[in-house]
Amino acid sequence: MTADSPPSHTAGRRLPGDLDREGLVERVLRVNQAGELGAVRIYQGQMAVLGRSRSGPLLARMAEQERQHKQSFDALIAARRVRPTVLSPLWHVAGFALGAATALLGERAAMACTVAVEETIDRHYAGQSERLGEDEAELRATIDRFRADELEHCDIGLAHGAEQAPAYPLLSAAIKTGCKLAIWLSERI
Amino acid sequence: MDDFDDIRDRLVLAALPHAAFDGWGCGAMAAAAADLGLDPTMPARTFPGGTSEVVARFIRLADRLMEEDLAGVDLAGLRVPQRILTAIRTRLERWEPHREAVRRALAILALPPNLPLAARLTWGTADAIWRAAGDSSHDFSWYTRRSTLAAVYGATVLYWLDDSSEGAGDTLAFLERRLGDVARLGRVRRRFDSLLEQIPHPGRQERPNLRQRFSAVPPRG
Repeated sequence: MTADSPPSHTAGRRLPGDLDREGLVERVLRVNQAGELGAVRIYQGQMAVLGRSRSGPLLARMAEQERQHKQSFDALIAARRVRPTVLSPLWHVAGFALGAATALLGERAAMACTVAVEETIDRHYAGQSERLGEDEAELRATIDRFRADELEHCDIGLAHGAEQAPAYPLLSAAIKTGCKLAIWLSERI
Repeated sequence: MDDFDDIRDRLVLAALPHAAFDGWGCGAMAAAAADLGLDPTMPARTFPGGTSEVVARFIRLADRLMEEDLAGVDLAGLRVPQRILTAIRTRLERWEPHREAVRRALAILALPPNLPLAARLTWGTADAIWRAAGDSSHDFSWYTRRSTLAAVYGATVLYWLDDSSEGAGDTLAFLERRLGDVARLGRVRRRFDSLLEQIPHPGRQERPNLRQRFSAVPPRG
């Protein structure tokens, strides 16, 4: 078996102390639902500032896609009996604040925020997709599909001058670190 | 593992009539094993955690059986408080003949070392009731709903333990009043929200109104 092919069972090759299948799926769904909530709020925050600017329709389209992702995970979380993260009120506020703050720094900073967030999420989804086995093929397909959308958002951001944003490396690193912390927390609580 | 899970359930159910008199200790479990024709060491082997583990198994079994009982009931046509009421009624009806065993189980859960377990079990029960009622919340209301229901359910069970009315009618009336209290809490909140909305908002939405107000001033002259 090559390292690239998906495992036949979710958490099938786990070591003692690793999460079992149920625990893993629970974490995956909880963090993804929280992540999409955050994404929706980031775009809403950006739209609150840039809604009437030239990138308004673009933001609206991406926000709509994120809303659909969130709906899918909302339904999955209820169907699979997963506890939603206790931090959702925090992500509700923090997502909007991040979106609005970067949008206030300018259109390019907003795009830089999008790129940083979507890059982190892309890596996060890729990691999940690797760990889910054939027995969770449907969930894996959903994640892969959403991952393609997130990558598209990332490309849109880059095409709209994300890298020309003021203090791009600093901004990007800060947002990525924040996202990783949010992911780590949402998986657990 | 499945075989043992099955044996655990059977032991708990067989212990119910004994637990009413002897509590959930070794005596009741030994009697249950004897009733089932099981090896006398079986209770100790399947419940190494002792009495609190047996009680936890009992409560979780009750959660599962409630879901099974409710699977045949059409709840979709009812309003949410009625669904909750039906779920709790179904649950209590099943354990009506074993009220004393339930009392002994709750007595064990009330012991200070068992309080964390009791909290977890109550949460699990509230969760099971909400799931049965078709709850699909995915935000913080997931927590508020369960904590509210845990309080209501806990009070209802305590009332039920001392209820001698026909068909636990008094308990159901009590439960209905408590659900009414919860609904009133929601109404108070909504009134508070509408009060908050009357306070002028410094945010973006207000600006058009301000602009209108200024443009509505008639030009001098």
